[in-house]
Amino acid sequence: MAASSDALERDAKLQGVGSSRLRKEDARFIRGKGTYIDDIKLPGMLFGAIVRSPYAHARIKSIDKTKALAVPGVVAVLVADDLKPVKLHWMPTIGGDVQAVLADKKVCFQMQEVAMVIASDRYSAADGADLVEVEYEELPAIVDPHKALLPDAPIIREDIADKDEVGHGKRTHPNHIFTWEAGDKAGTDAVFASAAVTVREEILNPRVHPCPLETCGCVASFDKVTGQLTVYITSQAPHLVRTVVAMLSGIPESKIRIVGGDIGGGFGNKVPIYPGYVVAIVASIVTGVPIKWIESRIENISTTGFARDYHGIGELAADKDGRIKALRFTALADHGAFNSHVSATKLPAGLFSICTGSYDIPKAYCRVDAVYTNKAPGGVAYRCSLRVTEAVYLIERMVDVLAQKLGIDKAEIRRRNFVKADKFPYTTSLGWTLDSGNYQVALDKVLKAVDYEGLRREQAAKRAKGELMGIGVCTFTEIVGAGPTKVCDILGIGLFDSCDIRVNPTGSAIARLGTMSQGQGHATTYAQIIATELGLSSDDVQIEEGDTDKAPYGAGTWGSRSTPVGGAAAALAARKIRAKAQKIAAHLLEVGEGDLEWEVDRFKVKGNPAQAKTMKEIALTAHTGNLPAGMEPGLDGTEYYDPPNLTYPFGAYVCVVDIDRFTGETKVRRFYALDDCGTRINPMIIEGQIHGGLTEAFAVAFGQAIPFDENGNHLGNSLMDYFLPTAVETPHWETDHTVTPSPHHPIGAKGVAESPHVGGIPCFSNAVVDAFAHLGVTHMDMPHTAYRVWQQCKALGINKR
Amino acid sequence: MTIQIEKTYPMPCSPEIAWEFLQNLEAVAGCMPGAKITERLGANRYKGTVTARVGPATMSFRGEVELQDVDPAARSLRLLGKGTDSTGTSAAALSLRARIDAAAGGLCALSGTSEVSVSGKAATFGGRMMNTVAEQILQQFADNFAAQVSALQAQRAAPGSGAGASAAPTAAAGARELNVLALAWAIFRNWLRRFFSRKSA
Repeated sequence: MAASSDALERDAKLQGVGSSRLRKEDARFIRGKGTYIDDIKLPGMLFGAIVRSPYAHARIKSIDKTKALAVPGVVAVLVADDLKPVKLHWMPTIGGDVQAVLADKKVCFQMQEVAMVIASDRYSAADGADLVEVEYEELPAIVDPHKALLPDAPIIREDIADKDEVGHGKRTHPNHIFTWEAGDKAGTDAVFASAAVTVREEILNPRVHPCPLETCGCVASFDKVTGQLTVYITSQAPHLVRTVVAMLSGIPESKIRIVGGDIGGGFGNKVPIYPGYVVAIVASIVTGVPIKWIESRIENISTTGFARDYHGIGELAADKDGRIKALRFTALADHGAFNSHVSATKLPAGLFSICTGSYDIPKAYCRVDAVYTNKAPGGVAYRCSLRVTEAVYLIERMVDVLAQKLGIDKAEIRRRNFVKADKFPYTTSLGWTLDSGNYQVALDKVLKAVDYEGLRREQAAKRAKGELMGIGVCTFTEIVGAGPTKVCDILGIGLFDSCDIRVNPTGSAIARLGTMSQGQGHATTYAQIIATELGLSSDDVQIEEGDTDKAPYGAGTWGSRSTPVGGAAAALAARKIRAKAQKIAAHLLEVGEGDLEWEVDRFKVKGNPAQAKTMKEIALTAHTGNLPAGMEPGLDGTEYYDPPNLTYPFGAYVCVVDIDRFTGETKVRRFYALDDCGTRINPMIIEGQIHGGLTEAFAVAFGQAIPFDENGNHLGNSLMDYFLPTAVETPHWETDHTVTPSPHHPIGAKGVAESPHVGGIPCFSNAVVDAFAHLGVTHMDMPHTAYRVWQQCKALGINKR
Repeated sequence: MTIQIEKTYPMPCSPEIAWEFLQNLEAVAGCMPGAKITERLGANRYKGTVTARVGPATMSFRGEVELQDVDPAARSLRLLGKGTDSTGTSAAALSLRARIDAAAGGLCALSGTSEVSVSGKAATFGGRMMNTVAEQILQQFADNFAAQVSALQAQRAAPGSGAGASAAPTAAAGARELNVLALAWAIFRNWLRRFFSRKSA
């Protein structure tokens, strides 16, 4: 049907799907009118400051509160013994383990929570925290996960030392958490045994931290009269928090209200439930007064949701033409002192088995061993660390290693191994069904845009002169949108999501979702989806999230799941409304429903387009009463959406670096990123997401790492050491796209925010290693700081003039 | 975080005087900026404190020191120290082997091989400075040590002095607190000096 120019005009006015309309939330953000956790101020509110362990592993011999309690303004000092009567000194984690809320007899990582000082103002609380005297007996610490399972290794978790399992199968050592494997081990081993070529590389994804602008915090307020608990909290998943708080406290879930206001960045750092939240909640329940707890930057980097710490070994088997025949990846995962890595019950290593990437690999096997060490727990964070980052890093690095071994061009070897476009939906040898993809087209577009052949010629010329230039290629496949409840859950709760839309009589609408924006622009993109589905202007569609008293239940925003799951719920809830609207329109126009067709914002009578009812008119009718017999008034729709599959966005990236062999300094000359996230809801927001994800990928590849000394002391938990790129360091990003819609998503959209991070990191590393490839270097671990790259130059003897 | 330091400082006295002084732990502690022996626990065990001041904040380490392997023939001994600051946020341990060697002209040299490890806040926030700070503290210690032994030598050489006077140096000049800002200035000054001398070299 050819749309009339009038219809096109009306469509443009809606600013629906495909429009790069400005973000609705920015009006308040750029005026400084956002409401972040520290903006919440309640009458009579007290402040909590946490006393933390200076040691990575120590026994607590005594705690003396006397001096702290003498500080004017200090109201109470809470330690584990104070929480014991309410059984809240330990709490369940989202990884199936338990975690000490306040250290119970011993501390297992540096900066672990030992006590909370409650005071009338923040300064008194901090002064009091300084004066809590704790006597420790230091114990030997495990920092290197490779040493965790040695027979004589110190036992970190005495509380579970004699447990055979901690939620994910049999344990073999007190410091062992789980061993998880997938694929056909025997079949894979057989291919390796007879393969023409095999390659092996040890590849580390160092411990990093997403370091969001806003640190974590909460304000807990318990009303002793009504028994109502309200918690304002920095959480990416408020409904899950409510459920956990109900389980922990015994307060009926209906009397608990969790409110996530504006959140200044999450990146997975704000998924877990932290001891600080729990102590603040307990303190409020006990005192009946609101308690605020806000993390400092150092506390944030040291103790909350880190990422990675995956010590991988990648192996590929191939024929002499570089066609991959089998893959064998293993990883040793350092989960820190408690397993609070977010993981589905069935998937303790997250989505690591996506490690076959964009390639058609007939046999594969992977295995992850997770261990306890004397480091902070977490491991969920950072723009996808459901272990997809680690998996993609391994495969994208290993493909390069194989290419170098065989002397095949790094773009060409990818071409030879891609899952071909006509094979989708394609089920990988590790069991994931990739819903859609068109890898070859994407790669070709990028190679052409950057003049790949020309770059390789330039590189050859530079190498002849002794200069270092690297070209990184990365063709990744992501897996986002957890998830089908049959595979994915947290604490047993399925990872569906929800949308509840109410259309008002005058034709505006409010929609509430179970997701939680932390800067993704949900107020805009969801409104655009609903605008297109309902024919109402996205300006008139209000989005609300994060207040559990208002929004329907959902698993929140992480793992790029908002568009794949929440966005689908929004579209389907809107379609329920449209179906009802169609009945009303048919009634008003006195025709059969089948005689109507939808056009932008109205139902038209087929063949008589002058006879039409707009959604606005229908909305009014739904509230004024001229309805079909038996129809209830109102125009609402609610959808709880359980996706049939995850979505699989992909991309092709090329990075060009120049390295100074005398200083080790790496300059990113060019970065070209093509992303395919299916249907594009707001191209401007997508581009913003890609810029952000690439910048964080750059940060990880070139500087971020949380180092520890041999005793488990942090050596870099402030912004003095921890690298956060600013506009000065950040390279220029060139973005591009193709559109391969998801066949199972209602509007064909896939998640996008993680892609640039997941694909960007290996692309940078591939570029840096490529600069040294002609000198026989096959791998260099991140971060590629000038010093570390210079060390490589020095080892090769090329650092002297 | 552990560092190793090996240093030799020339001393303006005879080996015998220096060795005698070295075994007087209370006097030696007096040479350490900010350090003080507060209690004698046994023949060779003591309790002590080290106080460091950073601007308005004062950090006070408490701990125990023990003398071991005192070898008069080799004029060497081992000193083990371990302490925590009073709020329990940092800990430090020291293992020092000190030796007096005879040098030309009847003088001697004090050599020390030490291993210092710190954990907690001191490691996290002070780690990057540790080598430089330790060197500065040792330099101040050696200066004080030299002043004390030189005084002791002069005293001995003076007519009418008796063996009983050997306790005198305990009231050493060192028992002030360690001023970290002054220390930082000394480090900066030395760094500048080294920087310029390297340029001119």
